[in-house]
Amino acid sequence: MIRKKHFVITLFALFVSAGWLKASVNPTETKAPVMPDNVKAVIEKSCFGCHNTDSKNDKAKEKLDLKTFDTLGKKEMIHALGEIAETVEENEMPPAKFLEKFPDKKLTDAEKKILIDWAKSEGKALMKK
Amino acid sequence: MKKLIIISAAALFVAFVVTQFFQPEKNISESTENLVINSENMPSEVKEAFQNACLDCHSNNTKYLWYHKISPVSWMINQHITNGKKELNLSEWKTLDDYDKIKALEDMKQEIERGTMPLKPYVMMHREAKLDKETQKAIIEWIDKKSDELMNQPEE
Repeated sequence: MIRKKHFVITLFALFVSAGWLKASVNPTETKAPVMPDNVKAVIEKSCFGCHNTDSKNDKAKEKLDLKTFDTLGKKEMIHALGEIAETVEENEMPPAKFLEKFPDKKLTDAEKKILIDWAKSEGKALMKK
Repeated sequence: MKKLIIISAAALFVAFVVTQFFQPEKNISESTENLVINSENMPSEVKEAFQNACLDCHSNNTKYLWYHKISPVSWMINQHITNGKKELNLSEWKTLDDYDKIKALEDMKQEIERGTMPLKPYVMMHREAKLDKETQKAIIEWIDKKSDELMNQPEE
């Protein structure tokens, strides 16, 4: 009887710790940088697919990895934000060829403005911090 | 058949000669205090590297080689200069605000570290533009020093 109880407790402990282990690994897995929800939504729609650590698009992730974005130093982050604003402003991103295949990923003017305004103000704010 | 070849060769030649009269405007002007190497304090090797590897396309002054004056090469070169200046014009360095300077400095650093600048074809035609490891290190040291200085500056 005691054995059975032990077994159940062990099983339960295993179950809990496994769940905890999973929980402690997973959040970073899909973590986008800390940003307002509206910005996050746009980024997840049109940018994150290629610009993340596990992307198969090496060029894209080398240029900008949104998964490790918040680990960047202050200067690197100002630079990255500046690049985001610039490429979106000049319609260089998402690439035209990509949009031919996935027209629904195209940024609307409103979405562009959300990204550009955020990137610029965030970048300038970092200068003062 | 032979006649046809002669006629087309002659036509091509005439076209080539005529296009020589249509040339893009030269990217030449006076060097001012706004130019990065004039306005910033930097070691002489860094200054030299800027001059040899960057300023032909990223400033208002290009050192043209003789064949750059011949069309259609002149137009190709002109395109490079236009794009280069649009991306970053170091002749206007002093007029940029701190935020734009930081962005430009970090951009330069990344391009140098990844070896994407100066462009390979440019280096092939301008051997002095090749940045060896030591020069790269010296430029990046200057960049880091400058950008730290800008980051730690109180708002004016």
